[in-house]
Amino acid sequence: MMTQFIYGLLFYIFLMLPPVANLVESIMITHMHMQMPMLVISGFLMAGIFLKRFPRFFEKWNSNGIPGITLFMIVIICWTIPRTMDEALTLQAIEAWKFISLPFLAGFPLRDSWKKLTKAGKNLIIIIFTVKYFGMGALYIWSEDQLCNNYLVIDQLTLGWGFITTAICLVIYLVYAFTVDPTKYE
Amino acid sequence: MQTSVSQNKVVSGFKDKANKALGISRQDALISKSYLAVAFIALLLGGLLGLLQGLNRAGLLELPAWLNYYQILTAHGILLVVVLSAFFTIGYFYAGLSHTLGGLLPKVRKIAWIGFWTKIVGFVLVVIPILMNEASVMYTFYPPMAAHPMFYFGLALIVVGVWFLAAGAFINVAHWRKNHKGEHLPILAFFATGVFVLLVGATAFVAVEVLFMIIPWSLGWVDTINVMVARTLFWAFGHTAVNIWYLTAVSAWYVVIPKVIGGTRFNDYLTRVVVIALVIMNITGGFHHQIIDPGISLPIKFMHVFMSLAIGFPSLMTAYAMFRVFERTGRRKDAKGALGWIKKLPWGDVRFLSPFIAMAAFAPAGAGGIVQSTNQLDQVVHNTMWIVGHFHLTLGMSVIMTFFGVSYWLVPYISNRVLTPKMNKLGVIQTIIWTIGMVIMAFSMHTAGLFGAPRRTSYTTYGDFSSSLGWDPYMAAVGVGATLLLVAVIIQVYAVFNMMFFAPKGTTEFPIAEVEENEAKTPYMTERWGVWVVVMLIVIAMAYVLPLTDMIVNAPPGSPPFKTW
Repeated sequence: MMTQFIYGLLFYIFLMLPPVANLVESIMITHMHMQMPMLVISGFLMAGIFLKRFPRFFEKWNSNGIPGITLFMIVIICWTIPRTMDEALTLQAIEAWKFISLPFLAGFPLRDSWKKLTKAGKNLIIIIFTVKYFGMGALYIWSEDQLCNNYLVIDQLTLGWGFITTAICLVIYLVYAFTVDPTKYE
Repeated sequence: MQTSVSQNKVVSGFKDKANKALGISRQDALISKSYLAVAFIALLLGGLLGLLQGLNRAGLLELPAWLNYYQILTAHGILLVVVLSAFFTIGYFYAGLSHTLGGLLPKVRKIAWIGFWTKIVGFVLVVIPILMNEASVMYTFYPPMAAHPMFYFGLALIVVGVWFLAAGAFINVAHWRKNHKGEHLPILAFFATGVFVLLVGATAFVAVEVLFMIIPWSLGWVDTINVMVARTLFWAFGHTAVNIWYLTAVSAWYVVIPKVIGGTRFNDYLTRVVVIALVIMNITGGFHHQIIDPGISLPIKFMHVFMSLAIGFPSLMTAYAMFRVFERTGRRKDAKGALGWIKKLPWGDVRFLSPFIAMAAFAPAGAGGIVQSTNQLDQVVHNTMWIVGHFHLTLGMSVIMTFFGVSYWLVPYISNRVLTPKMNKLGVIQTIIWTIGMVIMAFSMHTAGLFGAPRRTSYTTYGDFSSSLGWDPYMAAVGVGATLLLVAVIIQVYAVFNMMFFAPKGTTEFPIAEVEENEAKTPYMTERWGVWVVVMLIVIAMAYVLPLTDMIVNAPPGSPPFKTW
């Protein structure tokens, strides 16, 4: 657990280094689909030791995983809105908020909630993301206007296709999850 | 239902035992034999063409007017890179599936034969235009060079054949898992699953390139082609294909070599993690082949350096694992001192010697690979003989020498014959000749490349220009290397067909090493291939969406077909 925490922390610090942050933020798709998930992963890695140290807190507030996963969804959905990305680049406070909210308010609750959810609950979350990703993809691809002041239309188009391909991967996973019965093999 | 399952289990358990005791069934053996026979005939022809090229580049041989240098280069590449490697991989893994999963299912055998003939027909369609000098586009067939459409139809059929084989392997693996609930897939079948997943993933890209871009263009249905997109799709396939053969060689290193030296396998969990890591991260490595292509922005190239070097990580794990196994085995045989275990290795056994040299060659080959995935260094060497030297080290030594080593037990195993001490000795001699030939050739190619000798170019002194004359001694050495290699090829092909049809009858073991006693149980998550495939797809999407969108949206007008030869 401690090693995981250290790796998570080092990863978090690495992502904060100005050259790293500048590079991934210079391209829209790597900003949203690389930096943000990696921040969540860093929080996910760091969370383990806190879950162990303060089990009662998490038990009290997140006994069945639903509050935690709701918080996770709110934070993630918030960061897929074009305007939040724009503001992260223009306002220092929002940038700081990104680096706090994604690891600690998305990575932490994800780690605590995912294993508490039932299989149906997990699949429901993936279905919500699939639908949302198709929607966001459509928005970014077919929007005539430039949605972010800081990024060009081509960046936006690329991000749109990133959403669509990720959604396709999620659909493949869902088809696998619903058609293959693991009890036949395990 | 329950009874039928348990009955099934009994039957398949019985089949497992029968298979291990009696060796491979005749029908399964025939499949592997056919694949290996084609592979080694391709080696002979490809080696012969390689000699012609080597002698031409050495300035010793002027090719006749009816035989174009680029025609030979194309055939050499297709025969060795596409036919030899792919046919060997499939023959080897199908024998492995048959051995470890208790025989191939009848329908899988049928699928394997359909795949075999589809590939052969495809291959014939590829060869005809090459012979007619209508397809001298080299095995990378980069547009805007355009071959006869038949060439591309042939390639498409080869891909379809590969898909049949992959489907067959998956069906057999799924069947085994249904009858062995909760068990881990035998390690060699696990490697095979990884290889076939990669084969499907890789060929999907080239299928899109050939079917939707090149064929309509070569038939004249569309006027132009997007060269950058075609190259990108090609390398998503090409790089993965290279790594598939590498993974095949690695499977023998992890599973077979420990048994040959009388030891046990390295940690089962780590082995499976290496396979999964290679499968997930492989396809995205294709970009490093385009690292000096124009039209890809610098940040993208920079990020792809990470994707490429990431593949180096499981390779370093492999290097550690192999030497750990050697040392552990040596020490159990009472080796003394820090390096005494080296003396305990069976150096006179070709089944060990050849793969060992293959592993050793991977050290300089891997280092060269890291040089090439560094933009600034690659700018110096990219279109030079250095690259040719690099892939002769990786494929010509690391992969092929492992395949040679494997052939000395696999061919007798599927033919119900034995490896005689005499044949072993011949194999050792063959290994030594091949090693000397390849070291001379690859070293000279690397050096000539550093001096600027271009690749993919027929012999020329550029009007006796002084710099280019300086390449000549190295290129002469390439000719010497190629000659030695052809000698080794002839011995190897003789050995394979001798072991297949004439060696003394007997039983040969399929060497699969056991795990260490008291090893911790491998977590079951390694068996969740569905999840790994989805992770692989997400990684591919992450890597390819950005550059491909850019290449398509900001595309230049495109290029009409050119016949440059």
